[in-house]
Amino acid sequence: MLDRSSIAVVAMVLALGATMGDARAWDEALYPDLKGQWRVVGGPMRFDPGKPWGPGQQAPLTAEYQAIFDKNLKAQAAGGQGTTPTYTCLSPGMPRVTNGYGQIEFVVTPNTTHILVQHIHDNRRIFTDGRDWSAAVEPTFLGYSIGKWIDTDGDGRYDTLEVETRNFKGPRAFDSSGIPLHEDNQTIVRERIYLDKDDRDLLRDEVTVIDSALTRPWTVLKRYRREPDRQPYWREVNCAENNNHVEIGKENYMLSADGLLMPTRKDQPPPDLRYFAQSQK
Amino acid sequence: MAYRNLFATVALAGLFAADGAGAQDFLLKYPDIVGQWRRPAGIGIQWDQSKRVGPAQEAPLTPEYQARYEANLADQRAGGQGTDPLGKCIPPGMPRMMSVIFPMEIIIMPNTTYILTDYTDPRRIFTDGRAWPKELEPTFTGYSIGKWIDEDGDGRYDVLEVETRGLKGPRTFEASGIELHDDGESVIKERISIDKANKDILLDEITTIDNALTRPWTVTKKYQRERGNVVWYFNHCAENNHHVWIGKDNYMVSGDGYLMPVKKNQAPPDLRYFQSSQK
Repeated sequence: MLDRSSIAVVAMVLALGATMGDARAWDEALYPDLKGQWRVVGGPMRFDPGKPWGPGQQAPLTAEYQAIFDKNLKAQAAGGQGTTPTYTCLSPGMPRVTNGYGQIEFVVTPNTTHILVQHIHDNRRIFTDGRDWSAAVEPTFLGYSIGKWIDTDGDGRYDTLEVETRNFKGPRAFDSSGIPLHEDNQTIVRERIYLDKDDRDLLRDEVTVIDSALTRPWTVLKRYRREPDRQPYWREVNCAENNNHVEIGKENYMLSADGLLMPTRKDQPPPDLRYFAQSQK
Repeated sequence: MAYRNLFATVALAGLFAADGAGAQDFLLKYPDIVGQWRRPAGIGIQWDQSKRVGPAQEAPLTPEYQARYEANLADQRAGGQGTDPLGKCIPPGMPRMMSVIFPMEIIIMPNTTYILTDYTDPRRIFTDGRAWPKELEPTFTGYSIGKWIDEDGDGRYDVLEVETRGLKGPRTFEASGIELHDDGESVIKERISIDKANKDILLDEITTIDNALTRPWTVTKKYQRERGNVVWYFNHCAENNHHVWIGKDNYMVSGDGYLMPVKKNQAPPDLRYFQSSQK
């Protein structure tokens, strides 16, 4: 039971807290300063930035998905796209969007943390309003993310955003080498996002993926570096603009510089034009 | 030890303030714009919401662009896309993105107001007092500078005035193919405010100054607020897009995965590179 003096102290402290809250903008004072433009450290092509591209990632794939991955690598070596679906400008989805292939901005609001990625159409909403999973509806490439800001060191400021993402659809791959996620789309992605304690221009994202294509949870650490310019240049990137990939049925072709369809691999058959024959009768 | 407890309590109080007074005070400076905004019931994707889509818009086009518009309409009647670039998943850009095909969210931060439409790139409206950059790389969304104004002097901002420049094309006002000029010199001015008579109606008075037009074209868009547990749709143009462009020709991919014409007697694509590949 609190005594009178304790109550007085608590009341004073609450008043102080309220006054502090009045005097400062909520985002600057109580959440980490994530403003600015962030770019991934180590390049965007690999899911684990600490390991080489492709087989060097040593993804803990099940035997079935390792075979799918190996077949994909052969298809890519022959000129195809394998199991990486983004050449048609499909969103890479989660967790690949954390690879940071575009400029990144964090917009922290009381109920949602937005992560805006300048690439295809990869803007994430992480709901931090205390909701449960019942609101998750239509499966998406980016999934449905619920987060919670945590004050891990008890200094009165949030420092870590814990996020869980579910409710996916596919196809999705971890990176451009085509490491696949399971087609059941039961993926769960857990993240811990926080600023480096010694370098406030370095952001860390511990990403753990639980997926039926994996033999165990796969955890990697992403790092993003803040650009020094506080009025950064935001590049507009539209994947569909000047995309020379053409998908017809299950075949991938390319457009030549002179605007003609061309094969992407040796001896690839041309598209079936049966509907033109009907049209021209 | 006592100090440790005090610090812990101060920390607790700080967090308490974060969820309450701090956030509310910040919001008090700006209009309450939180929620999901949609086109009002019965409003389609026409540019001027008070008129029907197409020629009924009576766009004040120059003779050159009127002729282009009519050629585009003829192409659309024949099965083509005309001058509407969205079939290629080119973003609608400004000003068309403000037709809000899919729901819109507006996020007000001290230096930037963000407009997210869940369909195209986010708009950043910089409200930090910056000047126009000496050089602008043209984009579909353009570069927007805004200013929050307290028009009625009640101590709270009520209007966001925005100017957007630095645009590129192709862009059209709406799906009927009313084009903006190829030169990308559009200047778009907006006044965004909550309707004084209905706090769940957002107004955007949009004036487009463009060399395809004989005069500035002003329309006022209305948006209806959805509150509560709204659903944000993830709309991805490239997913299930059956349009295919080969050179300058538009085709479709049929449900069974074959290329097919969009116009009567349309020629099939030139496959010369396949012949040489298979020799």
